[in-house]
Amino acid sequence: MALFEARGIHKRFGQQVVLEHVDLSFEAGRLSGIMGPNGAGKTTCFNVLTGRHRPDRGRVTLDGEDITGLSPDAIARRGIARSFQVMSLFDENTALDNLIVALPEVRARGFDMFRRLSADDAAADRASAVLARVGLAGLERRRAGDLAYGERRALEIGIALASRPRLLFLDEPTSGLGSESTARLAELVQDLKRDHSVVVIEHDMQFLFALADTISVIHWGQVIANGTPDALRENAWVRRSALGGAA
Amino acid sequence: MTGSVSACSGSDAMAPVLEVRGLTKRYTRGLLFRQETFRLTADLTFDGSSIVGVMGPNGSGKTTLFELITGSNAPSTGSVRVMGRDIHKVKHRERDRLAIHYHQSYQVRRFRRTRPSFLMQAAGHDYPMVHLFDEPQFNTRDGYIGFMLDFFRKLRREGRLVFLCLHPNEPWHLELMEEVCEQTVFVQGGRVRTYHDFCSSLRDPDLRDYLGKLAPRDAK
Repeated sequence: MALFEARGIHKRFGQQVVLEHVDLSFEAGRLSGIMGPNGAGKTTCFNVLTGRHRPDRGRVTLDGEDITGLSPDAIARRGIARSFQVMSLFDENTALDNLIVALPEVRARGFDMFRRLSADDAAADRASAVLARVGLAGLERRRAGDLAYGERRALEIGIALASRPRLLFLDEPTSGLGSESTARLAELVQDLKRDHSVVVIEHDMQFLFALADTISVIHWGQVIANGTPDALRENAWVRRSALGGAA
Repeated sequence: MTGSVSACSGSDAMAPVLEVRGLTKRYTRGLLFRQETFRLTADLTFDGSSIVGVMGPNGSGKTTLFELITGSNAPSTGSVRVMGRDIHKVKHRERDRLAIHYHQSYQVRRFRRTRPSFLMQAAGHDYPMVHLFDEPQFNTRDGYIGFMLDFFRKLRREGRLVFLCLHPNEPWHLELMEEVCEQTVFVQGGRVRTYHDFCSSLRDPDLRDYLGKLAPRDAK
């Protein structure tokens, strides 16, 4: 049984059908990719899978449990974390503080406005370990707003990782990154694959074809193709594209 | 996937997938003295699943034809039936369960509605039978074309009727249509012509004239 499954997802905004009978399946321990051109419905799909939008029809299950229509926080409590295409960091706070507030034990006990977050040594140690994992060791005291764009992306992935998720969703992690930062991010995602189940939405096909175990292609709000990167490359039009040339 | 969707409930299984009868759409201007500015006329029947290439100059009425088939735009006369159902008598919100228009660049025209939905019929389907792709963004650099063409073929295998509207201005546009299209609809000056074989349609002098230097020499 797949770790995460979506079956027959249909979603409409007013007169517009945005998702049409979407079936997706993500295996544990794999990196699954979702790609599609701009406006294809990728982020809407992510929002339905992670509880921000309730589907009009269809069913979403995590480890066999029906999580369709649960709120985003209820889904997060079951072990699904996500990053956002548009980053949402506390820019005035340090990278370490951004991570500490994302730790489940800190969130569970609430915050005290008169106490410095980093005064909790145990939480600070755990947050530092996550920062190191995403390649931000040494930047603990840097304001999030002062980090380079690629570092902010890594920090957001770290925040998602802080909840120790069973499944990590990354929404367009290369968005706005240059080629050097994209290469560093690819190394980070490659490293995460070792011990996490990851789903990545991307429009950067090169990035996804290099990393994913399986890829689902979304267009017109529908899954128009899926398979391994090698199987998808067999397509004659893919072979004659820039992607085929790079393969 | 779409194959698992219950295809048809409550519709006439023997009816053509799409039947357009005596369809006209007139646009006029002037309040006292109405002057016709554009007229589209169409009679089409597609009995079963197919992939149909749609071509025609800008402003010839291709998008209007798609709007009439999907029921977003009301005809002046005539009818459009999908699996036997008159799409203009189906509840507005359910019309895309019969025929769906994938607009070019997500530009959607809105039309006035004259009849409330509660007086209309149900679509009787939960996945569209007719799919109209209006100038999809094709780009040879990214490889999506291959996935799109496979998707059209999949819809066809599942019994759906697919219209692919393209305005060929590169040789590979025609190559793409030859690869996937079985039939042709050519729209010119508001007149709609159907050819039940894509390759032989390329021998039509008007279509060749429209294609210009892209018209294949061996199709003469």
